[in-house]
Amino acid sequence: MKKSIGIAIILLAIVIATAILSPNFLSAYNLENLLRRTALFGILSIGVGFVILTAGIDLSIGGVVCLAGILTPYLLTQMGWTPTETIGAILLMSLAIGILQGSLVAYGRIQPFLVTLCGLLIFRGVARGITMDQTQGFQGKFAGIRWIGNGRIPLPGVDGFAIPAPVLSLVIIAVLAMVFLNRTVWGRWMKAVGRSPNAARYSGVPVARLQILAYTICSLLAGFGGLLFVCDVGSAQPSDFGNFYELYAIAAAVLGGYRLSGGEGSVVGVVIGAAVMQVLRNAIVLVPWLPDTAEFAVIGLVILIGVLSDELLRRFAASRARTQAKGV
Amino acid sequence: MTVAPPILQCRGLGKRFAGVHALRGVDLDIRSGEVVAVVGANGAGKSTLMKILAGVLPQDSGEVLLAGNPIRFAGVRDAVRAGIALVHQELHLADNVDVAGNIFLGREPHRFGFLDRQAMHSQAREWMSRVGLELSPSTDVSTLSIGHRQMVEIAKALSLRAKVLILDEPTSSLSMGETTRLLALIRALAEQGVAVVYITHRLNEVLLCADRAVVLRDGARVAEFSREQLTRERLVHAMVGTIHEQHARGDRESRSGSTTRLLVRDLKTQAHPEATIDFSIRRGEIVGLAGLVGSGRTEILQSIFGIDKRIAGEVVLDGRLVASNDPAAAAQRGIAMVPEDRQRDGLMLEDSVRLNASIIRISRESVFGFIRGGLERAGVARMVGLMRIHPATPERPVGLFSGGNQQKVVLAKWLSTEPSVLLLDEPSRGVDVGARAEIHSLIRQASDRGAAVLCAISDTEELLLLCDRIIVMRMGRIEGEMDVAEATEESITRLAIVGSVEFAA
Amino acid sequence: MQRNLATATRMSTAILVVFGFISLTSCGEPAVELSPKQRQAQFVQNYAKNPIVKPRLAFVTNGIADFWVIAQRGAEQAAIDTGATVTVHMPAEGIADQKRILEDLLAQNINAIAVSAIDPANQLDVLDQVATRTLLVTHDSDAPASARLAYVGLDNYDAGRAAGKLVKAALPNGGEIAIFVGRMEQDNARRRRQGLMDEIFDRSRDENRVEDPNQSLTIGKFTVLNTLTDQFDRAKAKANVEDMISANPNLGCVVGLFTYNPVLALEALRSGGKIGQIKVVGFDEAPETLAGIRDGSVQGTVVQDPYNYGYRSMQLLNAVCLGKPDALPKGGFIDIPAVTVTKDNVDAFEADLKKKLAGNKAAANAGNQTGNQAGNQAGNLAK
Repeated sequence: MKKSIGIAIILLAIVIATAILSPNFLSAYNLENLLRRTALFGILSIGVGFVILTAGIDLSIGGVVCLAGILTPYLLTQMGWTPTETIGAILLMSLAIGILQGSLVAYGRIQPFLVTLCGLLIFRGVARGITMDQTQGFQGKFAGIRWIGNGRIPLPGVDGFAIPAPVLSLVIIAVLAMVFLNRTVWGRWMKAVGRSPNAARYSGVPVARLQILAYTICSLLAGFGGLLFVCDVGSAQPSDFGNFYELYAIAAAVLGGYRLSGGEGSVVGVVIGAAVMQVLRNAIVLVPWLPDTAEFAVIGLVILIGVLSDELLRRFAASRARTQAKGV
Repeated sequence: MTVAPPILQCRGLGKRFAGVHALRGVDLDIRSGEVVAVVGANGAGKSTLMKILAGVLPQDSGEVLLAGNPIRFAGVRDAVRAGIALVHQELHLADNVDVAGNIFLGREPHRFGFLDRQAMHSQAREWMSRVGLELSPSTDVSTLSIGHRQMVEIAKALSLRAKVLILDEPTSSLSMGETTRLLALIRALAEQGVAVVYITHRLNEVLLCADRAVVLRDGARVAEFSREQLTRERLVHAMVGTIHEQHARGDRESRSGSTTRLLVRDLKTQAHPEATIDFSIRRGEIVGLAGLVGSGRTEILQSIFGIDKRIAGEVVLDGRLVASNDPAAAAQRGIAMVPEDRQRDGLMLEDSVRLNASIIRISRESVFGFIRGGLERAGVARMVGLMRIHPATPERPVGLFSGGNQQKVVLAKWLSTEPSVLLLDEPSRGVDVGARAEIHSLIRQASDRGAAVLCAISDTEELLLLCDRIIVMRMGRIEGEMDVAEATEESITRLAIVGSVEFAA
Repeated sequence: MQRNLATATRMSTAILVVFGFISLTSCGEPAVELSPKQRQAQFVQNYAKNPIVKPRLAFVTNGIADFWVIAQRGAEQAAIDTGATVTVHMPAEGIADQKRILEDLLAQNINAIAVSAIDPANQLDVLDQVATRTLLVTHDSDAPASARLAYVGLDNYDAGRAAGKLVKAALPNGGEIAIFVGRMEQDNARRRRQGLMDEIFDRSRDENRVEDPNQSLTIGKFTVLNTLTDQFDRAKAKANVEDMISANPNLGCVVGLFTYNPVLALEALRSGGKIGQIKVVGFDEAPETLAGIRDGSVQGTVVQDPYNYGYRSMQLLNAVCLGKPDALPKGGFIDIPAVTVTKDNVDAFEADLKKKLAGNKAAANAGNQTGNQAGNQAGNLAK
């Protein structure tokens, strides 16, 4: 929790600045949009956080989002599957993707960057092949299943503001992730694998199985995320659905305090990191004098500042700890 | 010995870190042609003193005199120019450059702006022969053993016209043979007029080669012994304050009657596939693996634990086979492994003592995979107290602890699970005398609870002190086995170096 | 030529030989430095003398979209009607991918190419390279400065004006308008937007007038807010509409310039409960857009005729290859005018669309017979 304070301050600063610069920022409508987008991207980021925790990387998230995103309407409309069958199939497929990629990393000893980069290309290619590059949409039907992506949960006594449905998914996933990482043996061991794979191995921690587990959780959440995305957006185009989402997810995780060298990170931080990204994109549209073309530059700059200040804080803390250590 | 004027003197040197005294009023004279050993437990201030002498750190009080004149070094370069060279504990050689290039790094001989390779190599050969390094100057440093690298460092220091050579724990990673060679070199250099300051834990080496020993404790100089006064007991007493290391051998009962716990049959390791290893260990028995560096001791430990894949053979624990190449399964069966390089393989340095010490135990105590936080904290607190881990702060990152305390954390990790087999690779490397005695006592306690203990130890003296039985390895094979009662340092060393064939000297 | 070879270095010899070979096989005359425009004229003359009986033609789009699937059907129909071999290529990753496709087609010595230029101003070198090697026409998005023989498509400026009329009908008392588009680099996006704004502000056509997409502009009773791009990211396209609604509480009408923009505008309005309150004007004929017109949530849409982009461009190139230069239009422009679809004619329009797609089932089968790649694809799609 302590580690998330820095990023929380950054989020607060951006929120306050945007609220001052744009009177519409704090409108119920806009806040709902922000919550929904943060939830959607946050789920992907929590997933990649597990992989980063083990000092790995998953670049295939965009591909999995795409595959899940186009398969959901495809299975429902083209193949005539029921929503339950469709969701089950998507989750099973994501699970299989994760186990496969994780095994290649853990047992095949292939670098995760390579495995998941190939995954990214393959999954998008498969998505385009299945659909022959046709856009897949719900065709105005399936409002029931789409609720998980674009639904609103009214608050009793509050008018004009409702909780976007994906927030529910995010909260459940975040709580489960936190419990897993902080309260279970496997969560503790997963951190150990990232901290020092050697020490973990020499302690009898099943390193390979934990790595596979991390990739499996990541792909599962990416697949579920893709499902939510398409339910929100209504249609998906195989050639660009989910483009760059792996990078947004990784950026949010890094902003939230995950170290790419592994072993460190908090779920709360990741969710706040995802929120920072979404508020920034929103602010660029809402603040009149910010040119939309500057979007990527601003996001890149903020990530850099976030990571840099985090690193400086870390060094400061480390040097203080060292001088104190000398005293003992 | 004629009394030469001191080339380097310290008068009342003091240094504080964050308000704590690291050095308090230390005096030290160093004369040309003399080997001075600076000994002390970890944290006694040895490294700080050497860093001030070598210009790495400035002192807060007191003065340094060079040939009688006060001097203040602005940095390492100043000290080097004054003829003072420090050879660090961790070596600083450029891996991608050859030996000659390393010796002359940054001041390569050149002609018309081009590197004069010929001159560099012939000069390098000269310095190398002075330290007894019989190698081509164009040998790649990355192919050298640690012992040879040390020699290169010393050659480099000599080529800088060093009059004072400071060696910071130079033998900590050397094998027995390499250590012997280095000590001979140190004597030879002293005879050539170099002043050598020698920092070490290993009292044997002090007794062997020092003209004088200065003992530091808690930042102060507590004793100085001339060669004639030097004895082991005196040094230990001065270092620890009380005599910790009593020979605890006598009260240990024989294990010859107990049942076999660990059986290693027809084992072939990847490093020595030509050799077959067979041995067994009884309940409560401590067996030592002796041998030179590279004799295959580490590989045996790693094959048993499953870090390395076994090429052939089996490991049987309490009558049941142990899976090959699966450390997780081995740990499940109650096999514990304390690796040689605890910083790399034994610990998560950035994590707290609690996280490190409880990593295995949490899974034994868990309910449906959930950690029981209360049990975990209580268990760690108990281990910290039991093992006298100092400071007793379970939430502090383990990387900030001294070597001895770090090793205790590695031991705590395993001993809290009450292992059936305890494998240890150099358990007291880089650990001070006090901590070493405590570690020995912990190992004995584990064996008293029935664990079969197998430890690879380079120091023969320590082997004799700790073990019930000693297996001597040479070039991947078991060269001989002896009960501690019949073993001597000499017999072990002879077996490790020349083998069991009778050797007429 | 022999003398040249003797004096040249080995490297340049090889290059000369390759060039010589290409020019010999493609036109049968010695290589002389000709401008891309002259080369095009030369191709036309050569084909008039030596017609190609079954020319190989390529239809290159600017990306992947349902829109292009309809154009593909038109191109395939042209292949059946004329006997030419037609392949359709859709670049997945923008301008670099399109360049790669064009280069690969040249490497196959294709007889003629019709291409929708993604970024005409910056693609001149690529287009001129194509023009020196093979017949070139543009469709959908023109590159007037290139050496292309003709442009088959609509005047996007006029299409923009048609959309402007729909906006005026939606907001008779004026108001705030927001424009959404995939990317502004494309000529069709620029022209549509300019035509739209000129119509809204009652201005006449002026080729030199360029409005900054990052600026809002108010003239009379209308305000056109800054234009947001999404780089074809659908989630972003939806977010853009949502954010504009947040930023401008008085927003009266949103205009989506690319096919999916009105669809995602509808999604955003629906989840925000703003259907009817904010009008939608779109381009193209996505099923959701047409459904929106029918239920009144969309004011109207301006549709192109992609079927005829495909059909007419392939028909034209086939004619030239067969040695009929008269098929080339005066002024180099074959106008495929835009159609405005509103509640009044939406049913008739959809029936026609279905008819065109259904007619292509035959094309799919025929495509298999001629071994034509696009036909195979269409066959799979029809299943």
